[in-house]
Amino acid sequence: MIRALGIAAVLVLIAALAMILAGANPIVGFYSLFRGALGGPNQIAETLVQTTSLLFPSLAVAFAFRAGLFNIGAEGQLIIGGLAAGLIGARLNAPAALAIPLILAAGVVGGALWGSTAGILRARFGGNEVIATLMLNIVAALLANYLVVGPLHSPGATGAETAQLPDSSWLPVLLADTRLTIALPIALLLAFALRFVFDRTIFGYELRAAGDAPEAARRAGINLARTAFVAMALSGAMAGLGGATIVTGVLHRFNVALSPGYGFIAIAVALVGDLDPLRIIVAAFAFGILQSGSLTMQAYAHVPKDVVSFVEGLAIVALAARRFVAERAKAAHA
Amino acid sequence: MNGPIVDFVELTLVKAAPLIYAALAGVLCERAGILNIALEGQLAVGAFAGVAVSFLTGSPLLGLVAGVAAGALAGGLLGVAATRFGVDQIVAGTGLNLLALGGCAFGLTVVFGQPGASSEVHSLGSHGETILIVVAFVAAIALHFALYRTPWGLRVRASGENPRAVRSAGIDPRNVRLIATLIAGALAGLGGVYLSLGELDLYSDGMTAGRGFIALAAVIFGRWTPFGAVGAAIGFGALAALQFTLQRSGIPSELMQALPYLAALAALTGIAGRARAPQSDGVPYTE
Repeated sequence: MIRALGIAAVLVLIAALAMILAGANPIVGFYSLFRGALGGPNQIAETLVQTTSLLFPSLAVAFAFRAGLFNIGAEGQLIIGGLAAGLIGARLNAPAALAIPLILAAGVVGGALWGSTAGILRARFGGNEVIATLMLNIVAALLANYLVVGPLHSPGATGAETAQLPDSSWLPVLLADTRLTIALPIALLLAFALRFVFDRTIFGYELRAAGDAPEAARRAGINLARTAFVAMALSGAMAGLGGATIVTGVLHRFNVALSPGYGFIAIAVALVGDLDPLRIIVAAFAFGILQSGSLTMQAYAHVPKDVVSFVEGLAIVALAARRFVAERAKAAHA
Repeated sequence: MNGPIVDFVELTLVKAAPLIYAALAGVLCERAGILNIALEGQLAVGAFAGVAVSFLTGSPLLGLVAGVAAGALAGGLLGVAATRFGVDQIVAGTGLNLLALGGCAFGLTVVFGQPGASSEVHSLGSHGETILIVVAFVAAIALHFALYRTPWGLRVRASGENPRAVRSAGIDPRNVRLIATLIAGALAGLGGVYLSLGELDLYSDGMTAGRGFIALAAVIFGRWTPFGAVGAAIGFGALAALQFTLQRSGIPSELMQALPYLAALAALTGIAGRARAPQSDGVPYTE
C-alpha cells in the first residue's frame, strides 16, 4: 500500500515535470485536470462514462490474465463488438425492450468470436496468444473500416461510421442530459459476477489453477487447451460488450475511432487493480478521471493531453515492477 | 524515367527498409529470450528524436545519432524492466509502447509548439535514404555472422533457448538479454530515423503505422533468423508497394494492409511447416 502510494507520488512528480517542460504551471494543470473530471455533476457523469468504457475491457484483460493468458487484444475485441452492435443497430427499428438486448448480444458475440480466434490458435495450435491478439487488433480496425465505408455502408453515414441508431435503441440514461447510462450498473454487475465466479465456482477455480500452476492443473485433469479457448472467448465477449455499450450508450453509432485505446489502458487498469474485479472498479475510476480530465487540462492549462498516455505507460511498467519487488520482499521475510 | 518494374523494385526496397531494421531488432531480442512487442514505440522514438535533434542543431547527422541513441534507450528500458525488475515482458512492452507514442506526441508540442506533426527539418536526403537502405542489408549480414559465428552469438542464442545452461557456463543470461535489447533498440531507432529523416523530413503522430507489429510478423515468417526476417520484410515491402500499383484495381486497400498480419496468424497455425520460436522466448529468467 505504502509502495503503491510512493509510485503514485513519483508519477505525479513526473507528470508535473512534464507540464513544466510544456511551459505550463503544474498546479493549474492538475487543478484543471480534476476540475474537468470532478468539477460538477456533468463532469462526474462524464468521468463515470469513461470509467464504464474502461471497466469492460479491464475486466476482460484481468479474466484472461487470471487464466494465465495475455489478452493484448481487448482493443480489437472491443472494436469488433462495437462494429457488430453498430451494424445491427443502424438497421434495426424495434422497441427498446427488444432492440437493446439484441444490440448488446451482438457485441458479446462479435467480441467472443474475435477473442476465440486467438483462443483457437492457442488451444489448437499452441500459437502464442500475445502475437495473435496483437495482429488481430490491427486486422479488426482494418476490417471495421472496410465494412463501414465499403460493402456494409449505412445510407446517410458520413466518414468511417454507421448511421445513427434510432432513439429506441439507445441505452436509458441514469442522469438527464449526460451520457451516463445503465452501462455503468451493467459493468459493476459484471465485476461482482466475476468475483463470484473466481471465488465460488469450480469453473473459476479451474481457470485460476490453469493460470497459477498449469502443470499441476493438467495433472489434476483440467483440460488446459479447453480452458484457454473458453477464457479467451469469454474475455473477448466482455470487451465486445463494452464496445456495444459505447455504440448504444455513448456515440449512438459505430465509429472506427470509438476507442482512444481503452483496450490498452485496460492492461494498466487490470494491473493497478491487482486483477481483482472489485479493486479494478476503483482503478477504472482513477483512470476515468485521467481520461475525462485530460481534455480540460489541454484546453485550460495548455498541457498536451498525450501526457496522460505517457504517464499511463510509466504506470504500467512501474506497477508491474512493484509486484515483483513486493514478492521479493515477502520471500525475504519468509 | 525508369520502367515500371524498376520503379516497383525501388518502391519495394524503400518500403522494406524500416521493416528490415525493426525485424532484425525483433530477431535479436527473441533469440536472446525477450519478446519485444515495443518495437513500434522504439521506431517512433528514433523517428522523433532524429527530427527533434535535426531541428534543434540543424544537422541531420546528429539527428541520426540521437535517433539511434534514443532507440537504444527505449530498448534498454524494456531490457532493464524485464531482467532487473522482473516485469513481465509483455506488460512492459505494452507500457513502453504507450509511453513512447504518448511521449513523442507530447514532445511535438514541447519542441515544435504544435500537435500532430513537426515542421520540416533538414533531412538526410535521397542519398542518405539510399545509404540507409544499403546499411539495412549490411546490418542483416552482420547480425547473421554475429549470431552464428561468434561466441557472443552463441551466448545470445543459448539465452533464448536454455538460459540455465548459460548460467552454468558462468555468464549471466540477464546481462546477455539486456545487451540484446540495447542493440535491438538502436537498430529499431535507426529504422525510425530512416522513416523520418530518410524517406521524409518530418515526424508526424502515427507515422510508424504499425510497422513494429509487421516486423514481429516478419520475425515469425522468417523463422527467427536474420536472413529469413529480411526476406519476409521484403515480401511485406512488396505488398506495400503493390498497394500503390493496385490503388484503382478494386482490391480493397484494407485487405492489402491486413495481409502481413493475416500471414503471421496463418504462420502461427503452422500451415507452412512448423514455425518454432526459441524455447525460452518471452520466458523470464530468475535465479
